[in-house]
Amino acid sequence: MAFLFRNPLVAVWALLTASTILSWALSRDGGVTPHADIAVTAGVLLIAAVKSQLVIRYFMEVRHAPAWLRRVMNGWLALLFALLAGIYITSL
Amino acid sequence: MWFFVIGDLFIFGVYFVSYLWFRSADHALFLDSQRHLNQDIGVVNTVILLTSSLFVALGTAAARGGNARHALRLFGFALACGAAFPVLKAFEWIPEIAAGYRPGTNLFFMYYYVLAGMHLCHVLLGLMILGFVMRELRQSRAPRIRFVETGATYWHMVDLLWLVLFALLYLMR
Repeated sequence: MAFLFRNPLVAVWALLTASTILSWALSRDGGVTPHADIAVTAGVLLIAAVKSQLVIRYFMEVRHAPAWLRRVMNGWLALLFALLAGIYITSL
Repeated sequence: MWFFVIGDLFIFGVYFVSYLWFRSADHALFLDSQRHLNQDIGVVNTVILLTSSLFVALGTAAARGGNARHALRLFGFALACGAAFPVLKAFEWIPEIAAGYRPGTNLFFMYYYVLAGMHLCHVLLGLMILGFVMRELRQSRAPRIRFVETGATYWHMVDLLWLVLFALLYLMR
């Protein structure tokens, strides 16, 4: 099994899966009573942003892409999560 | 394909932001509605799409390395994982609809069905594209690597959109 994890793609997948389960556990613990929970939401959004960046960089291979494509994809990700976090925070 | 992918990402981006905008106007309604979702199926479907994306990435690398037979097998695994997604979605949605949680129930469920439904259409189209990639790998003596990469990019976009959707619809509080 160890040889599998030497492949960077498999290592990225393991990280993506582990962080999915982490954010799920985070949400379950905080989700018993229905109230806005900034700590859970911050953790969930941060993990989602990191996962998105991993998919963009390693699966979509944007790290080897031309500069304009890297900028557009990074810009989309940064703008999206900045807006999501901004709207959430100002509404509390 | 990249222009299509970028266009799609920005369109979904607008939907994600509008979802959060309305959610922020009524936290209680959205939080209360979220409790009726099946988080377990949601997380399994997320892992399924991630695994499918891994097989596509490995298959693309194999095709690039000239190993079309191995690539075909890996894309076959990707297709099998991806095909499980709509099946699980049916197991998720049918009991929810039967329990009375429908698109018209409230604003949360409207977003829930419309966003996940649009994403599901992308999954179905993506499965067809994976099928075309497999045909290229099977039939062509020298598979066009650009064709394989283009199909792979689309499938990874489907995965990427789901990661954000999963966080917004199922997980955030």
